[in-house]
Amino acid sequence: MSAERITRREMLKRLIVAPVGAAALATLPVREASAAALQPHYEPYFVAVLWEGRTRCDSLWRSLKGDVVAILPTVQGATPYDRLYWTGYALGSAPVNVAMRVWARAVDHNGVSLGSGWRLIGQATIQTPPLRWFRVEIPEGHWDEYRIEVRSATTRLVYSRVIASQGYWKE
Amino acid sequence: MPVRFLRNASELADVSWETPLPVQVANAKPVPADTLLVATTTVTTDANRDLLGSTSTELPTLDGCMQYRKLVWFYFRAGADSTTYRVLARATDHNGAPLGTGWQEIVPATTLPGGANSWGRIEIPASSDGYYDQYRIEVQRTAGSNYNLTSKIVGVR
Repeated sequence: MSAERITRREMLKRLIVAPVGAAALATLPVREASAAALQPHYEPYFVAVLWEGRTRCDSLWRSLKGDVVAILPTVQGATPYDRLYWTGYALGSAPVNVAMRVWARAVDHNGVSLGSGWRLIGQATIQTPPLRWFRVEIPEGHWDEYRIEVRSATTRLVYSRVIASQGYWKE
Repeated sequence: MPVRFLRNASELADVSWETPLPVQVANAKPVPADTLLVATTTVTTDANRDLLGSTSTELPTLDGCMQYRKLVWFYFRAGADSTTYRVLARATDHNGAPLGTGWQEIVPATTLPGGANSWGRIEIPASSDGYYDQYRIEVQRTAGSNYNLTSKIVGVR
């Protein structure tokens, strides 16, 4: 990689002297990912971080936020997203054996839940060697609120990041 | 000859994997979701009662849905009484008038899943794409007592 500082006038002169042909442009090494790095306002709604933080798992069913209040959501405002991804990392020396379950519900225009309780949309046990990453995909999208709960017989810390993605189509 | 581009106000850089051309994702669009309906329906034994409570079979429950590939129907049912639902759809002309009378039944009478105080989620259509202009969603109790069904319908492009 090389770079040099020039004036706009010098740049224009070079472009005029050495125009880039269409055939050459077709093979330039561009990456779609570079759009995110180079645009100050890259479309943020493709993927959003809904929550990140640390959870102390114990024998109680706790939201990733740490509470045991079943009516509280872990994430809100998830209507636009068709998929959620929970990426985590569990501390501790023993193998990870964390039970998890995911609840969801819809709200009305005022943000009030349509009814009481939640719909259970999935449950599983995360089993990995210690100090490993894990990832949970939540494919049932467009619910307004989700509550992600964890429980572990052995107390341990779990670092988490929950992101959500909107679907998109290519024209 | 290396190809260079103006990296910022005064810096030229060679195009490489480390400094790729600033490109924009122009061929992809996000798929926002819109809330189309929030309603509470008393589920009765009336035939042809839709989520808005209407039994006028020519009235749509949802209109202007052409842009939506799919509708997602979330509901909370207060009762466990046996209930069926039916989904009808049709297209309209440029003036918003249906192309003809009646409807295409895209979901025949089907048992509404869930017990008392339970949540449900139904995708319309279940497998293919929608893009119909109008939908009519009917619910009918087939046994037991009346109960409230609270629904929210989200359109997904």
